Amino acid sequence: MRNFEHITPPDLESAVDLLSERGTKSIAGGTDLLPEMKSRLRSPRRLVNLKALEELRYLKHNARKGFQIGALTTLAEIESNELIREKIPILAQAASVAASPQLRNMGTIGGNLCQSVRCWYYRAPEFKCWLKGGDTCYAIEGENKFHAILESSPCCAVHPSDLAPALMALGASVHITGTDEEGTVSLEEFFVRPKASNRQMTILGANELITEVQVPMLDGDSSGIYLKAMDRKVWAFALVSVAVQVSWDKERVKGARIVLGGVAPIPWRVPAAEEIVRDQAITEEIATSASEAALEGAQPLRDNGYKIALAKALVKRALMTLAERAKK
Amino acid sequence: MARVVKTKTEFEGNFFEQYIVIEGDELTPWAADEKLEKVGKCTPRVDGSERVTGDAKYTYDIQLAGMLYGRILRSPYPHARIKSLDTRAAEKLHGVRAVLTHKNIPQIPLRMGQHFLLEPTLRYAGDEVAFIVADDEEIAEDALELIEVDYQELPFVIDPEEASQPSSPQIHLNGNVLNGKPEEYERGDAEKALREADVTIEARFTTQVALHNSLETHGSVCAWEGDSLTVWDSTQHIYGVRAGVAQALGLPLNKVRVIKKYMGGGFGSKNGAGKYTLLAALAAKKVGRPVHMMLTRKEENLAAGNRNNTIQYLRLGAKRDGTLTAIYLRSYAGLGAYSLWGTSPGGPARQLYACPNVKTIQYSVFTNTGPMAAFRAPGYVEGTFSFEQAIDMLAQKLHMDPLELRLKNYIDTNPMSGMPYSTKGLREAYERGAKLIGWRERKSKKITQGTQRRGFGMASQIWGGSGGPPAYALCKLNNDGSATIITGTQDIGTGTKTVLAQIAAEELGFPIERVSVELGDTQDGVYSPLSAGSMTLPSVGPAVRVAAHDAKEQLLSIAAQVLEKPKDQIKLKDGLLHVQGLEKPVELKEVLAMKLQNFMIIGKGARGPNPEKYSVNTFGAQFADVTVDTETGEVLINKIVAVHESGRVINPLTIGSQIEGGVIQGLGFALTEERVLDRHTGLVLNPNLEEYKVPTALDVPEIEHEMIDRADPYANNLGAKGVGEPPIIPTAAAIANAISDAIGVHVTDGPITPDKILKALNKTQIGGNHA
Ligand SMILES: Cc1cc2nc3c(=O)[nH]c(=O)nc-3n(C[C@H](O)[C@H](O)[C@H](O)COP(=O)(O)OP(=O)(O)OC[C@H]3O[C@@H](n4cnc5c(N)ncnc54)[C@H](O)[C@@H]3O)c2cc1C
Repeated sequence: MRNFEHITPPDLESAVDLLSERGTKSIAGGTDLLPEMKSRLRSPRRLVNLKALEELRYLKHNARKGFQIGALTTLAEIESNELIREKIPILAQAASVAASPQLRNMGTIGGNLCQSVRCWYYRAPEFKCWLKGGDTCYAIEGENKFHAILESSPCCAVHPSDLAPALMALGASVHITGTDEEGTVSLEEFFVRPKASNRQMTILGANELITEVQVPMLDGDSSGIYLKAMDRKVWAFALVSVAVQVSWDKERVKGARIVLGGVAPIPWRVPAAEEIVRDQAITEEIATSASEAALEGAQPLRDNGYKIALAKALVKRALMTLAERAKK
Repeated sequence: MARVVKTKTEFEGNFFEQYIVIEGDELTPWAADEKLEKVGKCTPRVDGSERVTGDAKYTYDIQLAGMLYGRILRSPYPHARIKSLDTRAAEKLHGVRAVLTHKNIPQIPLRMGQHFLLEPTLRYAGDEVAFIVADDEEIAEDALELIEVDYQELPFVIDPEEASQPSSPQIHLNGNVLNGKPEEYERGDAEKALREADVTIEARFTTQVALHNSLETHGSVCAWEGDSLTVWDSTQHIYGVRAGVAQALGLPLNKVRVIKKYMGGGFGSKNGAGKYTLLAALAAKKVGRPVHMMLTRKEENLAAGNRNNTIQYLRLGAKRDGTLTAIYLRSYAGLGAYSLWGTSPGGPARQLYACPNVKTIQYSVFTNTGPMAAFRAPGYVEGTFSFEQAIDMLAQKLHMDPLELRLKNYIDTNPMSGMPYSTKGLREAYERGAKLIGWRERKSKKITQGTQRRGFGMASQIWGGSGGPPAYALCKLNNDGSATIITGTQDIGTGTKTVLAQIAAEELGFPIERVSVELGDTQDGVYSPLSAGSMTLPSVGPAVRVAAHDAKEQLLSIAAQVLEKPKDQIKLKDGLLHVQGLEKPVELKEVLAMKLQNFMIIGKGARGPNPEKYSVNTFGAQFADVTVDTETGEVLINKIVAVHESGRVINPLTIGSQIEGGVIQGLGFALTEERVLDRHTGLVLNPNLEEYKVPTALDVPEIEHEMIDRADPYANNLGAKGVGEPPIIPTAAAIANAISDAIGVHVTDGPITPDKILKALNKTQIGGNHA
């Protein structure tokens, strides 16, 4: 790790001001940033320590606004929060299968949404890949078993977060604070496919911070599920994951949000599949055709064709499980 | 009197005849029904408390006054030549004390001149380019970036089968195939037998590169005093490091002291001096200060050895009744850039069953990848993965129960040498294992519908593990009635200290608390072999028993003279002298310290030769019960049963740890562990513990294990054989067979990851339904 300056700002405003200077990065739990610095993938000159901003560590709920989760809330806090487990269990599930207990004690929800991709070409300092400002995505022609089957160009890394698909299925937004402006954007707007002028998976500017994650009130009878397939029992990123949140009218689907993880550079919402289940009672046929629609347009690379069958199976399994529960 | 005798030794599947020096008389082996008080009893580790409290000092923990830290610059290319190299900027960095390159150190040949300590040719991504010592690790790392190297990239090859072709880029002067040709073994006529067989099967298997990932990385701390060098080294062979360092630096053996007190794992990868050892020693000499050089996790996973990958083509032939008539194996193993030896993936094929016609052709091939190293049963883990799956394929084709097929071809003599086994408990292991897993009732527990399919599988294990001479021990008896056992072995985490204390206490008739064991220091110890090949206990243990016996005899003669009684009327038990005619036993202290001037008894022991007319091997069987999710490809292991025979059990606790550890490492090999190379650049993509996936606690199922505990009457004076390697051998094969039982198709490429299961299912009915 190269030397750096570590600054603890007195408040949010000064944190954002400090971030305006080049070579400065914010650090929350440090579980993603510090490994990047140790491998010299990033060598910021200054770190702005967000952990001191106690005002960003809270978890509020009320009947009008739903959940407001301060950006510094840890994954462990989310996983174990009683209200979250009761009202939006999909988020607790997603948090509980992320990383390891130690990492969840340190890692924050803000950091989780802003974490870098795990693509091994990106993580290896030896490769100057496209995402790091180079010309080539080495994974497209290389070892791509863990990579994207959708939107795999110009970068075929997948977004690694477990929380993001769950939050997106819940219709969540993030509140962003910058030097001059602040505002709230939905996660669909927050996550963007990387392009030459913005080689990252979010719209966040260098001097902007997520201060809050907002989960709106769910209407009436709603239930959700997060399924994650892994190649080890725990402490592994998703091969594929699926987050499904359904609002019910008895056993019929009023509306559904279906989001896939591990298949695209960003959490991948599949409106076509949502459309298929709307106003339906979920049968095996409906679940199957929703799963087909969810993977519409998927184009496997050499080693990741299995993700298509896997993602379809998870979508179907999630829908069937929710339908089963709705019957009870 | 020292005597020279001939002995046969088996190491990692290879046999050697050696002349060795023996001292003292061999003891009669403890009989099968010998009444033993310490040996065979559950004995907690004698050094458990210092290990768990942090008192134990590992190599990494060594701190010396004025110590500097080393870091290694490594090749970013799989094959390259250094055209030029400029270290001036690095040398100027504040805190940098020395930079070593091939230009400013002597040309030190390694592996009998196969390569040099530092040289301009680099043969894998990770090969050593330069060495920096600095005041701390961060400065050394900063300095690495300041070394400017101009590399000429050379064509490279990473696939062993491809590398065996003469048209491939050549890595060493005499070609890529080790020794210029494959190693061939044949008995009978396998090709003819295949043609004439009633039933044949044929399959191609591949196994991946697996990494040892010892908790403690490789490394050394080197300090000079005058012309004497002390090396604290994370090693499985202190005398091997001593010999390697002495030879490389031109020092006499008595000027090199190597210390390894506590070990954070080795698994075969730490069998000698590393480049890091020699570089640290050279740099320490140059700057006149101690140097600490421990590999980082990334370096550990690039350059510290691995279980090589294999490609195996197997054909079996049998009669309709299940009699095996032909085994034919052609294998390719990727050695990486450097090695003097190759493994034997053909070992199980040659040895496991009574087959008259066997041919194995083993290619060991250099590739532009990190060099292989022995890894817990090298060759046999890979070979068993394929061979025992092939046996199941044959059983399927014959409509035979896999266990019955194995029993049908059971053999009590070594099919290679024709010699009887000293003991072979495999039949009992099969029986017990089958009972514990519920093998004969498995049909009723199988799940053949739906997405959660349950299946059962098994596999057999054969391995050496006889150990052998030379190994020596001393037993010092102090005048307070305590004993110190001195050997030059090392406890690599297996519990060596504990079992040696048990053996000494047993032979001496002392309580175990009165026996301490000193090991891991070449200066204080007496020669012991490397701790690999499952040989520590069966090599060093018998020597310890002889030394303890010698000391006890001396003690009894002294006691006889002091007590004025005939020696045969005095017995030692629980550290007390039981004298005929005396009502109460006498404290040793009373006789020794009170009546005599200070004195010390020194007993000497050596390991005797191995038996000439018997084949000493270890055996075992493992059974797996798994559930496969046919939609996600995820595998849940419900249970593993492991039953092994390794002669007499000295300590059920430490042997249990070996079995569990072996099974866990084996299931990592079966399901999750794989070093991944980028085929276009030859770089390792997962040299870390995040993407190189070792099993976590939740990946570990219930492991039920049992030993067929029987004293081997011929192996050595303890009747014990090695057990370090056997338990990892059959695990992956048993799991693979269980998976195939569950999903109806064999996955022949390791590790068996979800993508491979889904791909295999895609070709079957089950997969066809939802794909
Ligand atoms: C071995 C390992 C396994 C993991 N497995 C999983 C997994 O299975 N599933 C999963 O979802 N995650 C996984 N993670 C990722 C982990 O959850 C994240 O590292 C963690 O949530 C990040 O939070 P942090 O507070 O530590 O972020 P930091 O490391 O402090 O920051 C990460 C990045 O986010 C930025 N940042 C932090 N907070 C904010 C903010 N409020 N506003 C704007 N930018 C911010 C930082 O500048 C930095 O660039 C794993 C991580 C590791 C190391």
